Amino acid sequence: MEGFIATGLIGISLGSQYTLLALGFTLIFGILGVVNFAHGGFYVMGGYVAYYCTSMLGLSYPVALLIAVGSTAMLGWLFETLILERVIEDHQATLMVTMGFYLVMATAILMIFGAESPEFSFPIAGVWRAGGVYFPYANMVVLGVCLAAIVLVYWLVYRTNLGRAMRAMAEDRAVASALGMRTKVLFPFAFALATGLAGLTGALVTPILALAPHVGDPVLAFSFLTVILGGLGSVTGATVAAFIVGLVEAYAAVYLGGSKGALTLFVLVLIILVIRPQGLLGKEVRRA
Amino acid sequence: MTTAAATISGYLKQKAPFFGSHEWITLGLVLLAFAIPALTTNPQALSQANLILIAATAALGVYIMLRLDLMSFAVPSFMAIGGYTVAVLSLRLGVTDVVVLGLAAFLVPALCAVPLGWLILRLKGVYFVLVTFVLTEIVQLLLFEAAPLTGGSNGLVGMPAVRFFGFELWDNSHVLLTTTGLAFAGFLVTAIFTRRFRYEFAAIEKNDVLAESLGLACWKYKAMAFAVAAGVSGLAGFALVNMLMTAHPTSFAPMSSVNYITYTIVGGKGSILGTLVGAILLVSATDYFALRGELSPGLFGLLIIVVTLLARGGVIGTVTTLIGSLRARGSRWLGNGPARKAPKGDIR
Repeated sequence: MEGFIATGLIGISLGSQYTLLALGFTLIFGILGVVNFAHGGFYVMGGYVAYYCTSMLGLSYPVALLIAVGSTAMLGWLFETLILERVIEDHQATLMVTMGFYLVMATAILMIFGAESPEFSFPIAGVWRAGGVYFPYANMVVLGVCLAAIVLVYWLVYRTNLGRAMRAMAEDRAVASALGMRTKVLFPFAFALATGLAGLTGALVTPILALAPHVGDPVLAFSFLTVILGGLGSVTGATVAAFIVGLVEAYAAVYLGGSKGALTLFVLVLIILVIRPQGLLGKEVRRA
Repeated sequence: MTTAAATISGYLKQKAPFFGSHEWITLGLVLLAFAIPALTTNPQALSQANLILIAATAALGVYIMLRLDLMSFAVPSFMAIGGYTVAVLSLRLGVTDVVVLGLAAFLVPALCAVPLGWLILRLKGVYFVLVTFVLTEIVQLLLFEAAPLTGGSNGLVGMPAVRFFGFELWDNSHVLLTTTGLAFAGFLVTAIFTRRFRYEFAAIEKNDVLAESLGLACWKYKAMAFAVAAGVSGLAGFALVNMLMTAHPTSFAPMSSVNYITYTIVGGKGSILGTLVGAILLVSATDYFALRGELSPGLFGLLIIVVTLLARGGVIGTVTTLIGSLRARGSRWLGNGPARKAPKGDIR
């Protein structure tokens, strides 16, 4: 029983990480109509920026976290305004450009930091225990920050005028811009918000899991899985699906072992695709 | 009156030939590779030619799906199915005839693609991209999990040399001949398939909803294209496994699909020649920059961005446009050229 609860806690903290990634991914798709292949790249970049700030510059971890978020958001903003904006109307071109940008990012990180994974560990050690249930403090902090970020995103999207404008863009771009929503401001903002979330996740999670130039690939695959499961462009769908993915992965890894967890998820996603091609909470798919 | 009749009969006579110039040039270039073993025995050159032909054949899977405006990441999965089919047949059942193996490497992936296509092709553009991407990850995991059949992380090692009507193809130049044969088969199938249905594909590429409402059974063409793309990818998988003499999961890594997409896009996605030219240029470039092997993904990424932003037709598209405008300028300058001809029904 204790093992069951401990696994559940791991699953929930995994789910909160996936939520941050999937929220960014789904925001970009919902608002810009772009599949961001570079999402894993921003995750890795967040991790490396945090690593550089703590290990090389000797800054404290919370400051490093903020710098990681700021720099990934900044790069996302620049990428959107300078490159993505030019091809925003052509879905295939946006795909190619983000994919190319991911390759450039991964190679740049490889050249700057080398292929070996650096020594980067979470500043808080120790394990919380209650009876037979163990939960590392590091995971607890990650869970807390992730939940706070999720609440912040929800507040931003559903309770502010900026969020209303973004949701209007997602609903119907033509009508929203005719009513005065400014694409030139909202698109870069949404993209920067999403890449900042990816950077935050990277800075939080890579000290626990692993930091290496290539860790963005599985992140991309899991973001895809989550948004397919939840329904592309749906914020609540992404959140629900991310927690399902986290829990299934944790329980399958413990009770089935090895890579069975990933396989279980893939099968789950295939079944969902047969029954509900638009995902769990997805609405009619936008033509993109 | 007579001019109108002349125009119409001119149009009828202009009825586009089955193969355009690009198809002939492409097939000719692939055939030329048969001559390479006679010209050189340099193992470096032979392996380079091998790699180029395999890359080009694999990229055909991307090219075929792009005819329908679908971006496919599934090439490595079908390469793996084709490659492992050959490995299992030759190691477990002792089949070494290259024709039989080639047919199996085409048919097994194509048959696997039918139920998968039924599942995937109902999905619209972006979903198709995501699911084909996830599919390569699934196949990768399955290769590791299904150890009794695939050898798991050890792969299948020590394949016997293939035979062509009893003649054993074992040394470096023979391997290149096998690869060339497979590549030629792949290019021929692709050229015939994409030209045979070029009008249908063009209609679906432009606007599949409109095509559907005009009575075109889109799903049928999409399913066929998915199966043929899978089969051609399977041929590339056979060639790769045959060159390495092993079938190993790492040969079919999910991210390698990005390379095949790059070849097609940078070469020019509008023409089959673009796929070949893209593979030749980029595989050679990878080799040229091999001093810093890890740089090649960055180079590919940069090229993808530049081509997408500046030259949407890729190398072939840009060259074709250049030649066209030079010709137009030349004839205007001479003053006696015909007025600009109606486009020759050259729907790709």
